[in-house]
Amino acid sequence: MLKTYISIMRGAALAAMLLCGGSALAQTTATGVINGVLINKNGISLQFDTDPAGVTLGAAGTNAATANFGAVSAFGPLAAGVTRPSVTAANFTVRTIFDVQVIQGGLTSTTYTLTANLAAAAPTGLSYKVDAVTLTTASQTIQTNAGYNTDIAHNLDLVVSTAAPGAGGPAVGAPITTTINFTATAN
Amino acid sequence: MNCRFNLDGRKVLLILSAMLCLLAASAGAQTSSGQLTITMSVQSSISLVFQDNPSVGTTGFCPLTNAGTNNVGLDLGTAAFPGNFHTSTCVNYQHITAAFYEVRSAFDVVVSKANSSSPNYRLAAQISTPPPNGVVWLVNNVTLTNTGFTALDAADNFGQRITKTLQVQVRNNVPAQVLLETITFLATAN
Repeated sequence: MLKTYISIMRGAALAAMLLCGGSALAQTTATGVINGVLINKNGISLQFDTDPAGVTLGAAGTNAATANFGAVSAFGPLAAGVTRPSVTAANFTVRTIFDVQVIQGGLTSTTYTLTANLAAAAPTGLSYKVDAVTLTTASQTIQTNAGYNTDIAHNLDLVVSTAAPGAGGPAVGAPITTTINFTATAN
Repeated sequence: MNCRFNLDGRKVLLILSAMLCLLAASAGAQTSSGQLTITMSVQSSISLVFQDNPSVGTTGFCPLTNAGTNNVGLDLGTAAFPGNFHTSTCVNYQHITAAFYEVRSAFDVVVSKANSSSPNYRLAAQISTPPPNGVVWLVNNVTLTNTGFTALDAADNFGQRITKTLQVQVRNNVPAQVLLETITFLATAN
């Protein structure tokens, strides 16, 4: 009786050892790691947006937009979004409003400085102003301490001489195109 | 593994310089730029406004309402044939024939130009409705009609006051009524 019992126990022990050994050999898990790296750069971006009170910009929402004043005159009708704040004997001013939005990331800067300049000399009989700053080909400050991430409206004025073509006035009846460069610099 | 690096002085300087360059670059002001391209076309234009004559208030020069614009009013008051009756103190009233009286008042027209090489302009006028029988509307003795513009001047100078006199001639058999006309002036650059 005792011998039988011992034999049973030996058999059970052997079976248990075999089972344990089998599970150790059949490995069903694996591990791995990904060493993720992201270089978070800082930077700012500038875009032009259409102002509700201004002309509809072409390519609004980008940094290369267009503003078409259409036909402008001292006394005639103007396109939607264009106003004529002044008419004098010497010149008249037509105005539209556009928005600039500068977005920053990764900077501690809370404001930026906006500058502008004409890409080329102004055509005869015309001058350009942004927020009353007469533009030249040299960079000029338009706004300091402007806030990020919001549309900021700016007046764009075209001052047109009333002189006749050839007498100091601008060309009449032909499209005149001018490019203004804007630069936002984080403060 | 042998992890020792053999750095001589020149290598250290090179590494430090590179690090300084990187630091300087990252410390520089961040900028972003954009371009706004503007297009427009200048057109020649002229404007016409009515002004009070410098003699306004004296006989023959009544004040305009809304002077300085291109849409004014001119009140000639009340008048009648008998007794040279007229209520306005600024109009010029007279009997021009045995059957007609006339009320007149002068004002100025100023036409301005911009971006034009036109040397002068021509002026014309037209009344809005046919007047009652026995009533004639005139400007500077030129009778106006409602069927088309009547030429007043052929070559007026831009930017100068051109004095015009509005006249209403009324026959003595015209029934009592309000005589009202809208007179359109047309300036055309020559």
